[in-house]
Amino acid sequence: MKIGTPKEVLDGENRVAMTPDSAVQLQKLGYDCAIEKGAGHAAGFSDEAYEAAGVEIVKTAASLWKNSDIIAKVRIPTEAEMKRLTKDKTLISFFNPAGNAEGMELAKSKGANVIAMEMVPRISRAQKMDALSSMANIAGYRAVIEAGNNFGRFFTGQVTAAGKVPPAKVLIVGAGVAGLAAIGTSTSLGAITYAFDVRPEVAEQVESMGAEFVYLDFEEDQQDGAATGGYASVQSEEFRNAQLAKFRELAPEIDIVITTALIPNREAPELWTKDMVESMKPGSVIVDLAAEKGGNCKLTVADEKIVTDNGVTIIGYTDFPSRMAAQSSSLYATNIRHMMTDLTPEKDGQINHDMEDDVIRGATVTHEGEITFPPPPPKIQAIAAQPKVEIKELTPEEKRAQEIAAFKAQTKQQFTLLGVGGALMLLVGLVAPASFMQHFIVFVLAIFIGFQVIWGVAHSLHTPLMAITNAISSIIIVGALMQIGSGSFLVILLAALSVFMAGINIVGGFLVTRRMLAMFQKS
Amino acid sequence: MEFGFTTAAYVVAAVLFILSLGGLSNQESAKRAVWYGIVGMALAVFATLVGPGSGLWLLSLLLIVGGGLIGQYVAQRVQMTEMPQLVAAMHSLVGLAAVFVGFNAHFEIGNVAQVMAIADSAKEADLSDLGAFAKLIAKKTSAELAILHVELFLGIFIGAITFTGSVIAYGKLAGKVSSAATKLPGGHALNAAAAGLSLICLIWYASSGGLFPLILMTLAALFIGYHLIMGIGGADMPVVVSMLNSYSGWAAAAIGFSMGNDLLIVVGALVGSSGAILSYIMCKAMNRHFVSVILGGFGGPQGEQMAVEGEQIAIEADGVAAALNDADSVVIIPGYGMAVAQAQQSVSELVRKLRANGKNVRFAIHPVAGRLPGHMNVLLAEAKVPYDIVLEMDEINDDFPETDVAIVIGSNDIVNPAAQDDPNSPIAGMPVLECWKAKQVFVSKRGQGTGYSGIENPLFFKENTRMFYGDAKQSLDKLLPMID
Repeated sequence: MKIGTPKEVLDGENRVAMTPDSAVQLQKLGYDCAIEKGAGHAAGFSDEAYEAAGVEIVKTAASLWKNSDIIAKVRIPTEAEMKRLTKDKTLISFFNPAGNAEGMELAKSKGANVIAMEMVPRISRAQKMDALSSMANIAGYRAVIEAGNNFGRFFTGQVTAAGKVPPAKVLIVGAGVAGLAAIGTSTSLGAITYAFDVRPEVAEQVESMGAEFVYLDFEEDQQDGAATGGYASVQSEEFRNAQLAKFRELAPEIDIVITTALIPNREAPELWTKDMVESMKPGSVIVDLAAEKGGNCKLTVADEKIVTDNGVTIIGYTDFPSRMAAQSSSLYATNIRHMMTDLTPEKDGQINHDMEDDVIRGATVTHEGEITFPPPPPKIQAIAAQPKVEIKELTPEEKRAQEIAAFKAQTKQQFTLLGVGGALMLLVGLVAPASFMQHFIVFVLAIFIGFQVIWGVAHSLHTPLMAITNAISSIIIVGALMQIGSGSFLVILLAALSVFMAGINIVGGFLVTRRMLAMFQKS
Repeated sequence: MEFGFTTAAYVVAAVLFILSLGGLSNQESAKRAVWYGIVGMALAVFATLVGPGSGLWLLSLLLIVGGGLIGQYVAQRVQMTEMPQLVAAMHSLVGLAAVFVGFNAHFEIGNVAQVMAIADSAKEADLSDLGAFAKLIAKKTSAELAILHVELFLGIFIGAITFTGSVIAYGKLAGKVSSAATKLPGGHALNAAAAGLSLICLIWYASSGGLFPLILMTLAALFIGYHLIMGIGGADMPVVVSMLNSYSGWAAAAIGFSMGNDLLIVVGALVGSSGAILSYIMCKAMNRHFVSVILGGFGGPQGEQMAVEGEQIAIEADGVAAALNDADSVVIIPGYGMAVAQAQQSVSELVRKLRANGKNVRFAIHPVAGRLPGHMNVLLAEAKVPYDIVLEMDEINDDFPETDVAIVIGSNDIVNPAAQDDPNSPIAGMPVLECWKAKQVFVSKRGQGTGYSGIENPLFFKENTRMFYGDAKQSLDKLLPMID
């Protein structure tokens, strides 16, 4: 079968869904590759490079769509493009199925199969084809670079001969893939980075990237993001207020804000209000990665950079990945290639559209003339990290009270034990003869000594300990030796056997212990 | 020689034994500690041989030397990986000896009674041709005799359980008996019945003093030992071995009571408490109750276990080598699989190479790794791994997030994150080595199975985990030339 990639028709879209590298890999799966003339040009891949990789160059989009069995592209196809689909063709692309009912109807009527790259489920196995993540990664990186471009100062703090430069303070709202990428970029540029997310379990990831997690003083069981497939969901009113209050408190100090908060299939939540923008210092920069969905800041204008009256720059570009077309094309093409690998289990150049497979089923929006969106929930849920139970700091008085209570409980326990033990002892003493009690004292004291001594034994020496206790437990030989002088033959025989066995044990036990201990060496 | 001398020798011997156990608190003083034990034992045997009324000392000496030669042969021949079997086998000897000595005590009581019956009164009885122990018995009052009966009964009972239990444990550890937990139909009811029978025998014996209840009880105890240990799975062996260790001590103490010998009592109590503490430490390390280990099978909450997502990703030796060459800090987690594959020498060689390159290489040892408490430490020591880079779980668990590469060699449950994440896992709550927090984890494992306990391990499915399939020794030998 033939995989074809047309030139993106949307203005300003520089990406391309196939690179020379990915074409080589696709050919290994048994496919023929074709690309529209000049499709990779904007992303820095020349037609010659494609030809060298064995890709057929097709002059016009029309003949490419006509001759390809599988069409891989980036942007949501236009109506004109959709009309070129026919039965048995498979389209792999971003599709936005939730907001593209007409597109799905059209695909259904054409009988084509459509795989929407944004519908790839968020499970580990599917990460290699998760285009949203790879694009978000680029967007996060680019957002920081774009902010730096519009920010008149250094990110890192410096003390130079020409004066002291304070480090920039960056706040990143939403620690998804884009947020984390932005955190990484920002910290490596040297800025003091703060990050916030509604899912408290990502605090660990945030801190691992070197940023400081902004905690809210909010007393409610925060919901578990993993229950919604790893995405954030809508928050309660109280939570939102607590969150806004915290941001309001931070706004005057922050130089750069990067908002990445998106909730699937909803308008972006407003997180950075007008008054926060107004309280920011002149020269500050806001990058709103949610601009496409209305923006986390309502002043944001999609696809534009504006400067507010108080000198705050708000960047609302929606095409960050396209601005790094070479990078994003190669990542996206790899995602597509992995999708094709899953679709071609036999590596024979034939698609096996397995609707039983969680990943393929999830991403498919139309299949054989049926709309298959929305997909059933995946069989495997992302594993939720257990919410950490915060250990409450105790005041010194509480600690003291606890210690006293624990001490009292311990004293009480010891008294009861001693009392019961003592009473039992006395009872035994009433019946038992004196000679027994003498031995009994020795016995009890020996147990006490044993307990004291053994706790001190090093963990690593437990095996030698067992060997040596084994050797000295053959002290039973003493008993046998006392009996061997008896007149009775049976007694002598049994005693002799015991002496013999204990002899094996004594020598064997001690020698083996010595052998082991001799091996322990310091470096 | 006088009785006073023997007692004095016993006191010195007891002190030496205590010092010997106390000396095991660190590796250096441990080497001295063994000598304390040897001297103590020699002193005790010597004092008993020359002590009042012992006879046939030549025969005794010959037997000790003969036994000693066998012991020496075994001790020098045994492989370090076979240490668990050896220890178990030796316990069985102590148990059997305790049974014999206990029976002897019973026969002696009979003999003394016979002699005393012939003579009219105890004072006139001619006890000269009986041994030292017989003279001791002759002095006893009837109440003391009753207690004596109970004591020797207990000694035989514990000794018999230790004997068959250790034999089965030996069989399981040596792979001669299936390591799976198997029970006869009736399960623990059989054990309870045997224990009940023994209790009846005790009352019977204490009142009659006959031989028959004693033999009946011995058979019951032998059965308990067999059946109890058969019902315990291979993964719980560390607890079993230390428990049997404890029993052999209690048996010696009980015999000591019946012989009226303080040294036996002291040493028995020392060994008994040592084994008990070891069992406790092992149980704690597995977050299991002692009772549930002894009764076999997994206890704890049962329910739907978390499904494991993802796939196990395999890696070849060159990938592991590349990661190791790049790493600065490496932690190695050995388990029973390393012992099985005899890979400790290769591991040691790997460590030597990595350390020569200035990398920080350490070992993380879980308390229940292997089949014997401290098993891994002994194996690594044998392979000349310096003990100061071999760390306990608590010492190293916090360091995993800063570790570049963690290598898991033949261990499974002790690195299972389900113990922390999944409240329904059979091992939930067991402390584990948090190796998945390392930047990269390599697991050397024979195949994709679930291993000894049959519990799925989500570690193998984690994103930063790569599976290095194959026999541990062969895998490491393949890896070694690629480390520069």
